[in-house]
Amino acid sequence: MANVVTATLVDLEPQGWRGAIRAVCAPLLEAEAIQAAYIDRCIEMVDEHGPYMVVAPGIALAHARPEDGVLKLCLSVATLSDPVLFHHPQNDPVDLIFAFGSPDDQQHINLLTALAEGLSGGLADDLRRSSTQKAAEQVMKEVLKDVIS
Amino acid sequence: MTKKGLKEPLTAITICGVGMGSSLILRMTAEKAFEELGVKAKVVATDVGSARSMQPDIIIGQAMHTEEFEGVAPVIVSITNFTDHQALKEKLAEPLRQQGWME
Repeated sequence: MANVVTATLVDLEPQGWRGAIRAVCAPLLEAEAIQAAYIDRCIEMVDEHGPYMVVAPGIALAHARPEDGVLKLCLSVATLSDPVLFHHPQNDPVDLIFAFGSPDDQQHINLLTALAEGLSGGLADDLRRSSTQKAAEQVMKEVLKDVIS
Repeated sequence: MTKKGLKEPLTAITICGVGMGSSLILRMTAEKAFEELGVKAKVVATDVGSARSMQPDIIIGQAMHTEEFEGVAPVIVSITNFTDHQALKEKLAEPLRQQGWME
């Protein structure tokens, strides 16, 4: 079990994929789990390596490296009522975006394991169906219940 | 005859740009796929840069990353959905059989 800064946002209408990354990271910056530079690095990762972080149809997982400005282990998610294009050959458009930050290369492993389990068990659609922030928070809480203290 | 995959574990790497997010999720999916196929494999998540100096039996990633590795590993599989272990199983089965790594 770990202390994790989490945030859940619903029905955002960001400006493009860069706006989506900024929006999903914003509450983590607010909570001082990441530095502003981390958000820029998340965006640069896509510019540098391509939209590989669109890991499944409609789903993006934004992040950069621990040394890019992570202060606390954190995970946020946002559903987009206005989907964005990452220019991924198969998985566009994206209507669900996660962002995480880990202070080192180990602390996030249990968190992402739980997230992967959730995603293979229908988490994405459960979040898409959540019409309120409270409902989406509940969905995330259930998926992360064994890893967040 | 090689016993790889049957008794001795295969080495597989899952790749992405940073090597700690997408590739980690893909590692979980790959572990599940290998297990259900009855194939022994040690799966490591890594970034594309580090992958260039590795010599795994299997490379799994998005096409935008696996393309440059053509010919580097005996089995290279490109997938688009990192959370779908069924789809990965289907893609792995034939090349694993061809290598004699799966019954």
